[in-house]
Amino acid sequence: MQHNDGMNALSASGDTWGIPGPTFLALYLGAIAVALVIVLVRRHSMAGGKTVPGADQLTAQQAAYLTGGPDQAVYSAVAALRSAGLIGTGPDRKTVPIAALPHGVPPLDTAVYRALQLHGSVRAARNDTQVRSALDVLRSDLERLGLALSEDDRRAYRNTTLLLTALFVLGVARAAFGLLGGKPIMNLLFVLLILGVVTLILRGRKPWMTRAGKRAIAGLRTRYQYLSPSQSPAWATYGTTGVAMGVALWGTASFYAFDPGFAAEAEIQRQASASAGGSGWSSDSGTSSWSGSDSSSGSSCSSGSSCGGGSSCGGGGGCGG
Amino acid sequence: MTFYGVGIGWRPEIAGFVAGLPGLRFVEVVAESMPHAGPPPPALAALLDRGVTVVPHGVRLSLGGAEPVDGHRLEHFAAAAEILDAPLVSEHIAFVRAGGVEAGHLLPLPRSREAVDAVVANVRRVRAAVSVPIALEPIAAIFDWPDDELSEADFITEILERSDALLLLDVANVYANARNRGTDPVELLDRLPLERIAYCHVAGGDENDGIYHDTHTAATPQPVLDLIGELVTRTRPPALMLERDGDYPPAAELAAELSSIAAAAGYPDPARG
Repeated sequence: MQHNDGMNALSASGDTWGIPGPTFLALYLGAIAVALVIVLVRRHSMAGGKTVPGADQLTAQQAAYLTGGPDQAVYSAVAALRSAGLIGTGPDRKTVPIAALPHGVPPLDTAVYRALQLHGSVRAARNDTQVRSALDVLRSDLERLGLALSEDDRRAYRNTTLLLTALFVLGVARAAFGLLGGKPIMNLLFVLLILGVVTLILRGRKPWMTRAGKRAIAGLRTRYQYLSPSQSPAWATYGTTGVAMGVALWGTASFYAFDPGFAAEAEIQRQASASAGGSGWSSDSGTSSWSGSDSSSGSSCSSGSSCGGGSSCGGGGGCGG
Repeated sequence: MTFYGVGIGWRPEIAGFVAGLPGLRFVEVVAESMPHAGPPPPALAALLDRGVTVVPHGVRLSLGGAEPVDGHRLEHFAAAAEILDAPLVSEHIAFVRAGGVEAGHLLPLPRSREAVDAVVANVRRVRAAVSVPIALEPIAAIFDWPDDELSEADFITEILERSDALLLLDVANVYANARNRGTDPVELLDRLPLERIAYCHVAGGDENDGIYHDTHTAATPQPVLDLIGELVTRTRPPALMLERDGDYPPAAELAAELSSIAAAAGYPDPARG
C-alpha cells in the first residue's frame, strides 16, 4: 500500500503530465516520424502535377516562363522580336521597334514590342502593365496544364508543415513544464532543435514547377537539343521560333550566343541556364530569383560565377544536369 | 552501290534542320568529331534509326604525309565507321602535317610519283584498319607545284587504282580548279575515273582577288549546278552531298538549295517526303 502510494505520489508529482520522460520521448519521436511521412507523402503528391493533353506542346513563351519565370519569358520574346528584325538599338542606346509589327505575333511578344515602343528598355518593359497581363496569362496556362503550382497550391504545399509545427509547439510546452518541474530536458531539447530545423527547411521549399513540369522541360530540351548553346546553333537557319525556344530552354546564354552585341546593349542579364532537374525559377516575394532550394543540383549554377559566362553552363546541361 | 540521292554534310549547327528533312537518306559527318567508343551522339542515332546512311569523313589523317598515318588517329577513324555502321568512309588526298608541324588545314600534294607512293601506302594502312571501302577526295588546288610530273587526272587515277579506293568527287572543286586555271571543268571531268565515284560534294564559294575559293559558306552557284547536269549524263553518282560550313542561311533557303541540286541531277528532292 505504502509502496503503491509512493508510486502514485511519484507519478503525480514527478512525471510531467503524468508521463515519464523516456515514454514521452519515445511517443514523441514516433509521432514526429508519422507526421514526417504524412507531410512528405502529401507534398510528393501535391508536387506531381498532372499529365494534361497539350503539356508537351508548349509554346516558346510558355516554356520560357516555366523554365525561368517571367524574366526568361520576356527575354525569349525580346530575342524573337530581335530575330524577326522588329527591334534594334536606337538613339540614346534605347531598345526600340525598328519595323512595323506584323500579324500573328504571340501576345507576349506583341506586349513587349509595345512596351519597348513606350519605354525604350527591356528592364522597363518587364514591369509594363500589358506585359504583366500577358505574363499572367502564361502563368495561368502553366498552372492549368498542371506544369506549375498556383499560389494557392504553393501555400497549401507550404502549410503541410503545420503538422510538424503543432508537434514542435507540443514539445516546447512539455519542455517548459519539465523545466519548471526540475526535470532533465536535454534529450527533448535536442529533438526539438532537429525538428525545428527540419520544419524550417521544409517550410522554405515551395516548388514552382511540378514534376510534370520538369518532365515537360526535360522533354523539350531533348527535342530541341540542337538549339542548345553547346551545338552553336545556326540561328539564321532556325529562325525566330528557334531563337525564341533556344532562349526559353537555355536562358540568356542562348541570347548572347544569338546576338551578343544586341544582348549587351539591351542589358539582357547574363544568367546561368537552369538544369532540367533543378527547381528553376522561384516566384517568392514578387522578384524573380533562381532557387536552388528544391534541388541541390541547381545551386552550383545559381552561384553564378562559374557559369555566368554562358558557354560553360549553356553546354546542354553541363551545369546541374 | 546503293543509291542515296541528295544528302547534306551533318554539322551540329544545323542538326535540327537536317533532322527535319523528310526525304534525307545520306549525310556525312566529320570523323574526328565522333566519340571514340559507345553509341553515336543522339542526333545521329536518330538519323540512323530513320535509315539515313551516315558516312564518317576524315580531315586529319594526312594521307599525303610522307610518314605513316598516326595509329591513334587511324583507330579513331575506324571506330567512327564502326559506331555509325557506315558502308564506307572518306578522306582527302592531301596532307595536314609534315615533320610534326600541323598546317591546320588541308594542303595539296605535289603531283609526283613519290607522292602517289606515299598516299597509296597510307591508304593501304587505312584499308587494313577499316573494314569498309574508302573514298578519296582530291582537294582544291589554288596553285600547282612547279615540278608536277603527273596531270591532276592521272595523279588521282593512279592513286585510286593502286589503292583500290573509290572517288569522292568534289564537283565544286572541279569547277574551282578549272576556273582558277582558266580551263574547262567538263574536260577535267571527262579525264577522271568517274566509274569509281562513291559520292560527290557540292558547295558554294566566294571569289576573292580573281581566285574562286571553295569556302562552303555560300549557295551553290549556277555553274556548279550545270556541272552536276554534265556529270549525271556521264555517270549516276550514288549520292550528291551539299557541304555547308558556315554563314548558314534560313532553313527555307537551305532547303531550296538542296532542291535545286536534286533538280540539276534529276534526283528525288530530300526536302520533300
